[in-house]
Amino acid sequence: MLIVGAGFAGLGMAIRLKQAGIDDFVILERANAVGGTWRDNQYPGAACDIPSNLYSYSFAPNPNWSRSFSGSEEILGYIHHLVAEFKLESHIRFEKNVEDLSFDEKKGVWTATTDKGEKFAGRAAVMAQGPLSNCSFPAITGIEDFKGHKIHSARWDHDYDFADKKVAVIGTGASGIQIIPELVKQAKHVKVFQRTPGWVMPRPDFATPQWNKKLFEKLPASQQAMRNLLYWTHESMALAVIWNSPLTRVAERVARLHLRRQVKDRWLRRQLTPDFTIGCKRVLVSNDYYPALQKDNAKLITWPIARISEKGIRTVEGIEHQVDCIVFATGFDVSHSGTPFPVKGRKGRVLGDEWQGGAQAYKSINVSGYPNLYMTFGPNSGPGHNSALVYMESQLDYAVKGVQKILQEDLKVLDVKESVQRKHNKAMQKRLAKTNWNSGCKSWYLTEDGFNATMYPGFATQYAAQMADFEENDYETA
Amino acid sequence: MASIDLDKMLAKIKSTQWALSDIDWDAPGAELITEEQWPKLKDFMADLMWIEHVGARAFAAMAKKAPTDTLREIYTYFHAEEQRHANAEMALMKRWGMLEGDEIPEPNINLRLVIEWLDRYSDEMPVYVLGTVVPMLEIALDGALCTFLLETVKDPVCHQAFEKINDDESRHLGVGFSVMEMQGRGKTFIGAAKMLAPLLDPRLMLGIASYVPLLNKMRDNIITMGLPEERLYAAMAKFEKIGGRTEDGRRNPWFQVIRQHARFVVDRNNRAYHLPVDGMVKLTGLIPRRALPAVPSWVKELTYQPTA
Repeated sequence: MLIVGAGFAGLGMAIRLKQAGIDDFVILERANAVGGTWRDNQYPGAACDIPSNLYSYSFAPNPNWSRSFSGSEEILGYIHHLVAEFKLESHIRFEKNVEDLSFDEKKGVWTATTDKGEKFAGRAAVMAQGPLSNCSFPAITGIEDFKGHKIHSARWDHDYDFADKKVAVIGTGASGIQIIPELVKQAKHVKVFQRTPGWVMPRPDFATPQWNKKLFEKLPASQQAMRNLLYWTHESMALAVIWNSPLTRVAERVARLHLRRQVKDRWLRRQLTPDFTIGCKRVLVSNDYYPALQKDNAKLITWPIARISEKGIRTVEGIEHQVDCIVFATGFDVSHSGTPFPVKGRKGRVLGDEWQGGAQAYKSINVSGYPNLYMTFGPNSGPGHNSALVYMESQLDYAVKGVQKILQEDLKVLDVKESVQRKHNKAMQKRLAKTNWNSGCKSWYLTEDGFNATMYPGFATQYAAQMADFEENDYETA
Repeated sequence: MASIDLDKMLAKIKSTQWALSDIDWDAPGAELITEEQWPKLKDFMADLMWIEHVGARAFAAMAKKAPTDTLREIYTYFHAEEQRHANAEMALMKRWGMLEGDEIPEPNINLRLVIEWLDRYSDEMPVYVLGTVVPMLEIALDGALCTFLLETVKDPVCHQAFEKINDDESRHLGVGFSVMEMQGRGKTFIGAAKMLAPLLDPRLMLGIASYVPLLNKMRDNIITMGLPEERLYAAMAKFEKIGGRTEDGRRNPWFQVIRQHARFVVDRNNRAYHLPVDGMVKLTGLIPRRALPAVPSWVKELTYQPTA
């Protein structure tokens, strides 16, 4: 077995395989440490916006979360704990950057080739490289002229000292609104360049009292009850976030009240008020973003950026905002239409070519023509309202069922039928058309043409039901 | 004017950006302002700067209501570009020693009322209302004032700045008239009547009550500065000529409203219009500054400094 990537997905896959009695697998990791997104995103203020009791694996509960919404460092600690607890270290091969993944139909074997030419083979492969693992500086005119320091949020420079520095932050998405309050505390001055304001909800974040940790430890059922409560609370949010319903208006009202309570100035409030339906883009949660923007050493700038110059950022109102450092909180390079490395299936087909018009899969996990290959967070598996790890667990269990079948029946090929996949996607796009994501705003969920290859249009419970059955008739075998 | 391709226009706007630092504000030539010119020019520039700034806020409101993404982005740029013009004009004032310290000159009371109205109600107005008023203000006030300025002021830096400003303005007008035509396209009588419905909206009535005396006030200011008022009327006539050159344009009921109003303004013998409106100018002049709420914070975004 091959697993590509040692983040939450790859490690979770490894744990579930082990628990199913499958021990013969390797995890290929391009970096020299585990953790994926949580290893890369260690910028100041980095945290998960789903409560930790839900943003963790149900098969590996952690009674010791220090807060309701844990920071990036603590989440990374949990991931390290998973590696130790389930003895995964010996399976991981670090600095193995996969550059090609090819299927040999005769042998029924997937071969991964790394950038150094090393080859690893397995009867099945799991692509767990993560949807948010690549990032790059945005294509703003003049970016290469800038003589100051540049930092990308997902590749933080921990050696840079912000004290006495004038800093610009470009981007006010999920990363930006976490970084900004921290930078305002450290830097001399922070200018925040916003293109589109997002909906910001208050964040009910509390430190976990000691008795609570003890209770979860002594009585695991109490933590499971808490997890269930959080799960169903988030499920109910789907009604507001995924579809345009009366609850959508309620959610917008809550966000507006949050803004009104924290920002007194009418013009600033106007600058921060979104003009799209809540849920169309990712919903943000923060208690300290709005107050940070109003500190004396902070300023929100909503003029469009004309170009980056040697000394700073020129905006269309004709002013050059000179800074020592630009922080790009501009998100990730999310691929809707390609693959991170060439994936070659039966009869020489190349997945990237087939996906040019937008990625499609069966139940987000298998693609016809690419047998014995499982994807985590494949096409149309993204949640907008619930924990990604809840979705992940159903994917992992589905993959285990597939792998078990391959091994038990000694199959060379377990390939989803093309007609089944087509029918699945037709229904999927029909359902997506009715969601807020497809309601007209631009977001990283959509391709340039507005095709939604990212999100799952339903409740997490519906997704889990979709993944619960492994329908043998949907597959052809050899 | 054939209607323009807005996507191409947006690309053009993005590729023709300039900044205050492109101009050397300390270059020689400031001494060409005569002593006699100086006080009049000071008032003139303050008015001009405020008109640009008011135009900027109107574009911000239009961006909220724009019918397409492209138009929304164009208006977002125009909002910032008008602000750039105001900034550049303030930089000229600084160069000519017309600013006391870092102080922004006070807007006259009629502009002040328009600012107040824009701040409170403009975001609620349909795009075709401001979409017609703004081209009128731009072509008339901007047009007449800028030409006059360039004829009387010899300072080369002023010419350099206004060459850039006028290039921007020509794009603003191009889009403005094109959108007016778009809004009039295929309008039936009922559709047109519907577009006039906001006239009954008390918020718009307040807007009209602040816009109408502004024009007369500006006319008076122009005369004080020594510019023949016919120049203003000639500029206003351009609005009627360009806006009404196509059937679509003429079918836009707001074009008809603004055009008719312009005719009233231009006709000094129309006492039924000018008597009450001049009265309003006088009356508004009596409003004590203290009675007005604090200026909205967007007003404080103005700066004459090329870098920040």
